[in-house]
Amino acid sequence: MSAPAIILENVSVELGGRPVLENLNVEFESGCLTAVLGPNGAGKTTLLHAILGLVPYKGHILFGKERREKRPRLGYVPQRLDLDRGSPITVRDFLTAVQTDRPLWTGISRERDQQSRAALERIGVAAILGRPIGKLSGGETQRVLLAQALLRRPEILLLDEPAAAVDVSGEALFCDVLEQVQDELGITTLLISHDLSIVSTHARNVVCLNRQIICSGPIAAVMTPDNLKRVFSPHTDVFDHSHSHTHPPA
Amino acid sequence: MDLLTHLVAQIFPFSWLEPEFMRRALLGLILIAPACATMGVQVVSMRMAFYSDAISHSAFSGVALGLILGLDPRWTMIAFGVLVGCGVLIFARKSELSSDTVIGVFFAAVVALGVVIVSARRGLARYFEGVLFGDILTIQTVELWAILTLAAAILIFQWLAFNRLLLLAMNPPLAHSRGIRPAPWEMAFGILLALLVMVALKAVGLLLVTALLVVPGAAARNLAKSAAGLFWWASAQALIASVLGLYLSFIWGSATGATVILICVLFFVGSFGYRMIKGAR
Repeated sequence: MSAPAIILENVSVELGGRPVLENLNVEFESGCLTAVLGPNGAGKTTLLHAILGLVPYKGHILFGKERREKRPRLGYVPQRLDLDRGSPITVRDFLTAVQTDRPLWTGISRERDQQSRAALERIGVAAILGRPIGKLSGGETQRVLLAQALLRRPEILLLDEPAAAVDVSGEALFCDVLEQVQDELGITTLLISHDLSIVSTHARNVVCLNRQIICSGPIAAVMTPDNLKRVFSPHTDVFDHSHSHTHPPA
Repeated sequence: MDLLTHLVAQIFPFSWLEPEFMRRALLGLILIAPACATMGVQVVSMRMAFYSDAISHSAFSGVALGLILGLDPRWTMIAFGVLVGCGVLIFARKSELSSDTVIGVFFAAVVALGVVIVSARRGLARYFEGVLFGDILTIQTVELWAILTLAAAILIFQWLAFNRLLLLAMNPPLAHSRGIRPAPWEMAFGILLALLVMVALKAVGLLLVTALLVVPGAAARNLAKSAAGLFWWASAQALIASVLGLYLSFIWGSATGATVILICVLFFVGSFGYRMIKGAR
């Protein structure tokens, strides 16, 4: 395992007096994709919020081999944006707003516009730059959210169930784009998911969470039926899924 | 201030603007209406119309408290409105209740307090007509200075906060990942909005102040193709409605604030029609 990018030491979070995360001790390997896996209510999003510094926590969250407390540049991809379909805010507006504090009503400089276009080109959706962001499909929105996260040249990329609002084909496409970007830039990536197929296909390491760390390590070692039962439920069964997906024509 | 009213007369060389009080009224309106419209863009995106309604209704209590304490009710009204705004924002952040519920509780409290004071001291009721309907034609120099200062503060705030508030409205954790701390920016916006609402009462009154915030922004959404368009369409409509509303209220002898709002609503209807026709093509 290469040097850790994020180190959690005895990290606990309480929200409204209720423990959400309890005494987490884990390291996230730098330069690769680590999935954080767990059922609903396991504290996955809270973990990301703690790493972002959004929620108060006990313990230490340290970054890099120097184990510094100061956060590096973080790119964050949320599940969705809170924006109604009638809003005229465009993808161009959104990508400019994440780059600069100069107000959008004073116009957008050519340099910012080129950077936005380049970010969209990298993930193959340059044509949507001028479209209202509220009118994009779920898959397009997720790619715009990935583009905004990459615009800041982050050292660590945090993705909070990015494919939750996307259909199956959109989800696969998004993950392919993510993997391509990850290979290209070598960014440390934390992907929150409860989708086992995404995790097993795209992650190198897995951290299984259910308020506490259940298990962590390379995917082959961690994704065992016993571990998955411990994470999701003692009543869950795991079935081998190795048949071909080629179906005969109807 | 004389220089500014003189400037207004130069820019709008109309005979109906010859009386000094009309020029002062127009100056007040063209400062306050675009300020409301631009803040209204965020009021809509951050869903804070109910908040501005609660602030405006606290005017009853603010005026009543000023009168029974022997203070100038214009300033106690503003101070009380800001206090209520801060209370709502702090309580909504600290409690686990939804912000709508918190605002509802404060709304009920401030209206009930005002009614209790006014009903116990019957002589106070006559002061409230101006609060209910506004009276821009009687605006004083000191009030114009307050409006000018606030408009300048809002312009600076919109320069600093426009992009930040856009991101905060879209996704607070995402904004935070960009180094934008939600609490100070939302607090600053809430306090400025409370100040603006209380100052704008003079122009359009308690019953219509939320309309001055929301309607130009809503009409702008039908016409704009970008965030910049939203800002400028809302400002331009509020500005035109101010001039036209003052003129028509002069001709018709109607309440100026209500006439301005009616024109804003007509702009909204027109913009909605435009959007429908454009969508049908």
